[in-house]
Amino acid sequence: MHACPTAAVAFAARVDTNRVLTGTTLEMPFGQSPFAIGRGVAFEALLRRHGHAELRRVLTEGLGVDFSQAGIENLREGYQPNTTGLKLRASVTRSRMAEIIASPAEPVVLDGAVLRADVGGLPAFFEADEMAIGVGGEIVVGENKSWPVVDGRPTDEDALGSALDQAATYVLLGRRTLDDAGVDPDRVSSNAVLVTPRNTGLTAVLHRQNVDGRVRRIERLLSAVPHVADIATSVPADVTFDVAADTSLPEQERVDAFAEVSDRLGRVYEPASCLSSCGFAWACRQCAFATGDPALSGGVVARALPGVVSLSRVAELSHGAPASAVEAPVAGPLARAGRLYDEAVPVPAPRRRRPA
Amino acid sequence: MSTAMEAMFAGRIHQDGHALRRTTLRHTNLTDPALGICLWRLGGERFRAAAVAWGPIGGPYKLAVAGEPRNRDLYFSALLPFAADLCKRIRRVAATQVARQRGRHTDYLPADALQIVVPNRTTVAALGLLGRYLAYLSDRGGVAPDPALVEAGKHLRFYARHARVPGQALLVPLDRLLAEHWATLLSPFEQANLAAVDAQIDPPRGVHAFDSGFAAEASARIGPEPTEDIDRITDELLARFNEARGGATEPATIGPLIAPIEAHYRRLVDPVWALMARVVDRERALPAAPSVPRRFEVDREAFGRRVDWVTGGGRYRTTDTPRQAAMTLRRLEEPLARYEAEKAIEDPAAMVPYLLDGEAVRGVVASLNDQYRVRFRVKAVRRAIIALDTDDPVILPLGKKLWWTATAHDHHWEVQDVTANGAGSRITLMLYAAPTPARLPGVGDRITFSVLHTSSDGYRLPPPQNPPWTHTSAAPPAPPEPIDAGDGDPPAAAVDGATLPDPGVYA
Repeated sequence: MHACPTAAVAFAARVDTNRVLTGTTLEMPFGQSPFAIGRGVAFEALLRRHGHAELRRVLTEGLGVDFSQAGIENLREGYQPNTTGLKLRASVTRSRMAEIIASPAEPVVLDGAVLRADVGGLPAFFEADEMAIGVGGEIVVGENKSWPVVDGRPTDEDALGSALDQAATYVLLGRRTLDDAGVDPDRVSSNAVLVTPRNTGLTAVLHRQNVDGRVRRIERLLSAVPHVADIATSVPADVTFDVAADTSLPEQERVDAFAEVSDRLGRVYEPASCLSSCGFAWACRQCAFATGDPALSGGVVARALPGVVSLSRVAELSHGAPASAVEAPVAGPLARAGRLYDEAVPVPAPRRRRPA
Repeated sequence: MSTAMEAMFAGRIHQDGHALRRTTLRHTNLTDPALGICLWRLGGERFRAAAVAWGPIGGPYKLAVAGEPRNRDLYFSALLPFAADLCKRIRRVAATQVARQRGRHTDYLPADALQIVVPNRTTVAALGLLGRYLAYLSDRGGVAPDPALVEAGKHLRFYARHARVPGQALLVPLDRLLAEHWATLLSPFEQANLAAVDAQIDPPRGVHAFDSGFAAEASARIGPEPTEDIDRITDELLARFNEARGGATEPATIGPLIAPIEAHYRRLVDPVWALMARVVDRERALPAAPSVPRRFEVDREAFGRRVDWVTGGGRYRTTDTPRQAAMTLRRLEEPLARYEAEKAIEDPAAMVPYLLDGEAVRGVVASLNDQYRVRFRVKAVRRAIIALDTDDPVILPLGKKLWWTATAHDHHWEVQDVTANGAGSRITLMLYAAPTPARLPGVGDRITFSVLHTSSDGYRLPPPQNPPWTHTSAAPPAPPEPIDAGDGDPPAAAVDGATLPDPGVYA
């Protein structure tokens, strides 16, 4: 969900970025340990076992409302595992949410609720682990994660941030769903619920966290996604990822084809976000290196160099090369940085390199 | 961090094809030899070290492999030699003490401290979790856990917590050490891969740092979290192992069966071990900064205090009280400020970002008047005034406090005037103390003033014993408790991501 034209076109064309460069050295290693997946599957199974007994316990203890007799509707079962199934689940989720607000007498849990969103003008479906509804008629969004919490602290702070972002997305989409149904959207609580194992075992424990700030950020991100129709009109008809994705072709041909496509479309390479989520990241990084794109070293460097076209030019300016009018604002600090660094660090003797 | 400096680094590395030094000195103590630890976990299992390698950096390592680390008996049995060896090393180092005289007070602290070197910050976190797990273990079936496991857990917990102290050198993650000493083309996100950073620093002949780093990133496996390809092999080996042992946990049965898993982890550890030795060797070759011994003395003091407490059976809270949290924050902030100051004052390369950001000025002393008199309250006192001609124009507010780098532990100077002077500026500064020869530069000296100083900002009172209601939680934090309930449950079956419609949900 960012402003990269290449990623946006791939999204609009429903191209799986993780598969385009499969089999090349630039394929992103996003695979996961089977043990890690097994742990996640086992934790979710534990919550659902024996009529969701563990989930009922943890919701009761964590939310202070008796969920022992709550109606739990599992929307993961009984629907086709395809778009048709997702549409039906989204429709059921929407009507159940409206019903629950209308008659808030009993706690209800929607397991596997599906929320629909328009992303860049295309329908997208998001599956929430739980949408727990308290007796007060308030809808509380819940997400299960299999990483443990110890002494009240997460064992992986990055994972916690991602989980809260995910929950915030569901809060936002839940509110939009209610709004569409003519119900007060604020009935979806800002306090999301995370259910994680506690300590070394898999015993579940519930945490509540306010995600209002994240909801606002995700709303901004979603609204910034370029509209597919706009992209479609601006993209030349002959632009295609087919050559890059053709596993029968030599690797270099595929990589060159990708570089050509992304050169034509434009790309916004941002190491932290691209490398953790986009299947094109290594390929874009390679292109950034080849062209000397300042973004190669991260946004801080790129933003510090308005008007400077390449890293080679940065190096020249740091050695005191005359600057153009566009480069002038950054040329002075760069030349000074280069001069001070040269004063401080003597030129090293030629290094003994490892053999190639 | 100066953005101009970072941009300059990126441009030059891209052009020259190799990494550049951020410092001319080494700012971290590196003992010879330090104890290296390399850890591999089972995917997603934060408390299960599937393999632990340890030994002197640059020497041979020992390897502890549990086979099935999710089986408590097998796990603890495999960890025991590591735990016992760690405790023995720590006690041995702590046993030799030296006297330290401070005024009329003499205290004793260890002559040395056991330094642990690990590949990355993720391993620091992994050791901290392992320490938390082992430090407070419950009895199982009436059998108390081996005391060496508990003691090692407490030591590991201390090391992992102490690793947060800026400039400390008890537990050194090499990725952080390299990031402090070298500039590469890697973004902060990518610098977590030690092999990639090392490959950019020392690329093979004729290979650009970027290509070298990419090749290392794509092929090297550092741990502790395994990648999919590693755990696919582990999964197969583990399935065979578990089938062959049929539930047995006795060493006599396990011993002959564990060799394939051990060989699997040895293949993973070998390159990491060699990489750690290479990195430490290269960094050790650089001269240590003058303040390194002082910081390591602080480490030794903390190490000695901790070992005394732990070996005496002491316990530490696992959750801080609000008062403890406030004190911890202060204990982290003060060393950070001092570490940054010492680094920049001692190392000309580390001062460059401060010069670029206007927090330091460098120039030539054009004049010195050490007989200047100012009225201070009721009497006139002698002060020194200097005029400093800088190479570059500077903007400084009048009254700004600056410290001469040669006397950064002493009194400050204040900016009295700034005027244009050719291409640079002339700054008039007044020393806020009696002028003595040691406090004064000579005319014609090229010197640096900065906002950095190494003196204490004054004695700080400890926070009140009873914090105000704004800082009091509803319930006091729980005392240290075991977290091992459920660690004997049957392990979850591994699941191939390819069989799931959306394996990403378990990321």
